[in-house]
Amino acid sequence: MIQVENLRKEFKKTIKEPGLKGSFKSLFKPKTERVVAVDDISFEVPKGEILGFIGPNGAGKSTVIKMLTGILTPTSGRCTINGKNPTVNRKSYVKEIGVVFGQRTQLWWDLPLRETYGVLKEIYEVDEKSYRERMAFLNETLDLESFISSPVRTLSLGQRMRADIAASLLHSPKVLFLDEPTIGLDVVVKDNIRRAIEQINRQEQTTVILTTHDLADIELLADRIVMIDKGKNVFDGSVGELKTRYGQMRELNFVTDSTDPESALSYREHFSLDSEDVSVKREGSSVKVRFNSEAVAVSDILAYTLATVRVNDISVKDADIEEIIRRLYKQGVD
Amino acid sequence: MKQIKRLFRIHRIFVAQELKRMMEYKGDFIVGVIGFLMVQCSNLLFLWIIFNNIPSLMGWSLNEVVFIYGFSLIPKGIDHLFFDNLWAIGHFTVRKGDFDKYLTRPVNTLVHVMFEKLQIDALGELVMGIALVCVSLPQLSIEWSVLKVLLGIAAILFATFIFTGIKTITAAVAFWSKRSGNIIYMVYMFNDFAKYPVTIYNEFVKNLITYVIPFAFTAYYPALYLLTGENPLYNVGMTVLLSAALMSLGVFVWNRGIRAYESAGS
Repeated sequence: MIQVENLRKEFKKTIKEPGLKGSFKSLFKPKTERVVAVDDISFEVPKGEILGFIGPNGAGKSTVIKMLTGILTPTSGRCTINGKNPTVNRKSYVKEIGVVFGQRTQLWWDLPLRETYGVLKEIYEVDEKSYRERMAFLNETLDLESFISSPVRTLSLGQRMRADIAASLLHSPKVLFLDEPTIGLDVVVKDNIRRAIEQINRQEQTTVILTTHDLADIELLADRIVMIDKGKNVFDGSVGELKTRYGQMRELNFVTDSTDPESALSYREHFSLDSEDVSVKREGSSVKVRFNSEAVAVSDILAYTLATVRVNDISVKDADIEEIIRRLYKQGVD
Repeated sequence: MKQIKRLFRIHRIFVAQELKRMMEYKGDFIVGVIGFLMVQCSNLLFLWIIFNNIPSLMGWSLNEVVFIYGFSLIPKGIDHLFFDNLWAIGHFTVRKGDFDKYLTRPVNTLVHVMFEKLQIDALGELVMGIALVCVSLPQLSIEWSVLKVLLGIAAILFATFIFTGIKTITAAVAFWSKRSGNIIYMVYMFNDFAKYPVTIYNEFVKNLITYVIPFAFTAYYPALYLLTGENPLYNVGMTVLLSAALMSLGVFVWNRGIRAYESAGS
């Protein structure tokens, strides 16, 4: 459905020396360099999938999303949705997509929310009957009723986000782009928005491309992850695959009444591990051991711990996606 | 045909939206109207003083000067009233990345930008322009014919798009330079010369506003035809031709600009 082929974007950047003098210098003799923001990215998204598109700040996520939504023109490569290409025919392309940028709004700021939907109806040429049905559906899914008559400027961030998502769905797009839809929202509102996205995806087979820094969004919603870093595609697969491939770090938690468990337990010497493969943290009587399950088996570490100190309560935590991503963002993928 | 109907529909909807927006803030709206009336009164007073002190200008009678001055305000006012949002493109829309919004909607971006705002202040220019034309007209012995009336209307229409075209070209520079507000301003201000008969200027200014930034064709030349009936092919024909050329160039530069648009980080 969505095909992204060898997408590349370069920007020309003016290099300035610091200060006023530098500004003058660059005014008369600008030095420019080419910056590659997105370097040869390809992927496909089948209909009805929710794709989590992640990467650290500055990785080129927004640039990719902006090319996919027809805002930026790729330097080379292309993206198509159902064979339509935004650089060839932008107008017919954008009718197929809905876009929400969490940090921006497309609502008419000064007017009651209802007015925005009235104008979008005309812009997207939605007929009266479909409009009414659509509004009823969006009202129910996103619960707009209580603030649809309020001016947009008076809405809370959570309300505004719901209103923006509704605005992007008014013309029943086949693909929905959500760029940080849960940014700055409280736990309850986040839950509501996730539920709404899931419902829309399920009921209408809407393909969703989601970028976020909240990994709960990814775990709860995404069927698949595409991760980019420094403009390159570094991972493409399911959440499960990400865990099996990079999720060797486990966490062993236990409570002990031994007086000095840290000196009694010497994991590094016993299993001859590197310092990055194991770390121990103690808080009162509870101890947290993070270890690489590929360097040492879970059963071995359990057995050794139980044999060495007196343990009251013990658990091993599975690979945490947040932990994996933190490591990948920090170190990159080899 | 269907497309033109859609354009009008979109225009109507945006204008309605703008009017609603203005009335949303009632205090501001009322103060705005009062301020607007005061500015117009002082402008009229100023003009009255000037024209009372110049009985004639390089062979132009007072009434002719008033007519040209008034005529120049009409296309300027129409452009200002309907298509003023282009200024915002040069000043901040591109620089802040807010242009993204237009690109995600299935409407031509230039049309969307042009139609989106209504600059009510411009009514002042329009009202004053029409008033000055109406005041001077009875004192001038113009021979009217159907053709002349039609050409006069056409001249106003096409002259409007000389303004819009020049604004579009200069605003689109922002797609490369991120900011072109001052360029628009500088170029646009040359229209002040066009309010008076071009024969009063030296060759440099005359050539500048005739051939380089052809604001003279928004007022002096078409008004000259209406006053004298001379050479409609040049006086009105060039207005039409330049208007079409500038608007086409504007659309071309705009579309090239969109490809260079870089948005802003978010």
